[in-house]
Amino acid sequence: MKKLTIALVSMILLAGCGTRDGNGQPKKIAIVVSTLNNPWFVFLAQTAAAKAKALGYESKIFDSQNNTALESDHFENAIASGYNAILFNPTDAKGSVINVKKAKDAGIPVFCMDREIDSRDAATSQILSDSYSGCIDLGKLFVKALNKKGNYVELLGIVSDDNTWNRSKGFHSVVDNYPHLKMVAQQSADFDRNKAMEVMESILQAHPDIDGVFAGNDAMAMGAWQALTAAGLAGKIKVIGFDGAEDAINSIKEGKLTATAMQFPKTIAELAATDADEYFKGKRDFPHKLPIPVDVVSATNIDKYTAYGKKN
Amino acid sequence: MPMGLSNYRASLTRFQSFIALLILCIALSLLSNKFLTIENGWNVLRQISVNVCISVGMTLVVLTAGIDLSVGSILAFSGAVAAGLLKNGIPWPAHDLFIGFTLLGTIVAALIVGAALGFFNGWMITRFKVPPFVATLAMLTIARGLTMLSTKGYPISSLGSKFDFIGSGWLLGIPVLVWISAVTVILAVVLVRKTPLGRYIYAIGGNEQAARLSGIHINRVKIIVYTIGGILAAVGGIMVTSRLDSAQPNAGTNYELDSIAAVVIGGTSLSGGRGTIMGTVLGAIIIGVLNNGLVLLDVSPFWQQVIKGLVILLSVIVDKMNSQEA
Repeated sequence: MKKLTIALVSMILLAGCGTRDGNGQPKKIAIVVSTLNNPWFVFLAQTAAAKAKALGYESKIFDSQNNTALESDHFENAIASGYNAILFNPTDAKGSVINVKKAKDAGIPVFCMDREIDSRDAATSQILSDSYSGCIDLGKLFVKALNKKGNYVELLGIVSDDNTWNRSKGFHSVVDNYPHLKMVAQQSADFDRNKAMEVMESILQAHPDIDGVFAGNDAMAMGAWQALTAAGLAGKIKVIGFDGAEDAINSIKEGKLTATAMQFPKTIAELAATDADEYFKGKRDFPHKLPIPVDVVSATNIDKYTAYGKKN
Repeated sequence: MPMGLSNYRASLTRFQSFIALLILCIALSLLSNKFLTIENGWNVLRQISVNVCISVGMTLVVLTAGIDLSVGSILAFSGAVAAGLLKNGIPWPAHDLFIGFTLLGTIVAALIVGAALGFFNGWMITRFKVPPFVATLAMLTIARGLTMLSTKGYPISSLGSKFDFIGSGWLLGIPVLVWISAVTVILAVVLVRKTPLGRYIYAIGGNEQAARLSGIHINRVKIIVYTIGGILAAVGGIMVTSRLDSAQPNAGTNYELDSIAAVVIGGTSLSGGRGTIMGTVLGAIIIGVLNNGLVLLDVSPFWQQVIKGLVILLSVIVDKMNSQEA
């Protein structure tokens, strides 16, 4: 039995070596994504895979499950099995740097999507969602919607996630300038709809007199909205989210959520795949960082948007 | 007789969780005047209802000296099945057929899915002697994968007002979610105290060898217990999905931990044979009250995790000390 396994493994390895330099074979692109446990990243990964295929490449999606160690395994496997490029959504700005360097040393270009890594030269290009600026715009809208005064609640995402704090900081960089806007509670709901509903229910007991809720993603905004509905407060309290997920877009359309920030995972994923394509064709001078702006979506411009992007 | 002794110990641990809960409630009501209100009471009961259902199943499993790590994933998959069938039915284009599902049909289907996965756990554990930790760990990822496959990684939302009723409706002045968990608890208490199956469960956890020699069909009992665990996870799945009006692909993540915490805080021994359903219910209430209270007091999310862990440790230490004295 042991022998058989070893034989199988070496066959796989050989097969990997065989296609690496093969001329007739289509080149292979690995898509390593931080998690598939969140629809936003599923969309990002699938769009990247679809674009790579459309450009004539083979592609495969690897799920790091928010685990930098697992991500490291994926990189090693991708390098060993002869992938020619990696479209990469990092789990951690600092922790992922070493993985990207490993690929670079093996001569495999890495193109970062949505989240950046803390290194100037490891990745070939970085196409990033500008969460921080997006939340500045959301903050401005929030201030306006609340008329510069009132109590509000902030629902944070996973507190060990860079994105959680990027969004929170962007928002506070605006809102904290208004002394009559008071944050009465700041709690984490882990980017999770159910947790957000429960946390919001409890917060409402302590602070029934709030005027607004800022949630770090749309799932939490939807959960908060449901808690507000159950408490009979829906419509009186402004709720804003972040992402541009389908549920949130529909909710804004129905006049429920006040606003969300639309990121463009489709644009990001397709640009990354196109960069890889151009790299294969010889291009080397990619901008180190390409921020993709985030649009604020509210009732006034909702007609232009659909889930995860602009209407065509 | 051991039976009398274990009853005495059981009532002691039950008493002890109750005292812990009482102290917690008094402390919280002194610290926040928002805690001890009827509305907040309903909040807490609604919030723990899912954990209560799952933890009742977990208690039965733990009483046989087993463990079920797959409850959160089974919850997610059953919820996704319910939402998917309700919203989309089963199209069968090859035969130009479409199978639609009524609300009842959807619920039954979700329960069958939960039962099947639970049965599979039990079958692996008894037929192939896979340790429960490993078998249900495998199911944790299998069922999560099935959830991803069936939802394609996206939430299934807007399930209609009838289905909504389970999660946000009230019946005779009590939330439907609380009714469901109350009925579950009552059925489980009857099962444990009044039926032969209940006695077998304790016997297996107390001493499996002795139970086998006394003619108990160990494997059959275990399979039934894991199947019940799966069904109750599916009940939880229906509750969560209805409450959110949406089946989330990542629903139920880490629920097995909350559930094991409730069982342990409730005084059930992880080595089996000792513990009560009501203890677990108290454990779940303690966790729920703690979650609620820490938010009411605006405790930072970082500290909340530390505090919850300490409470679990403390309750087990007290439990150990008591059982040594007895």
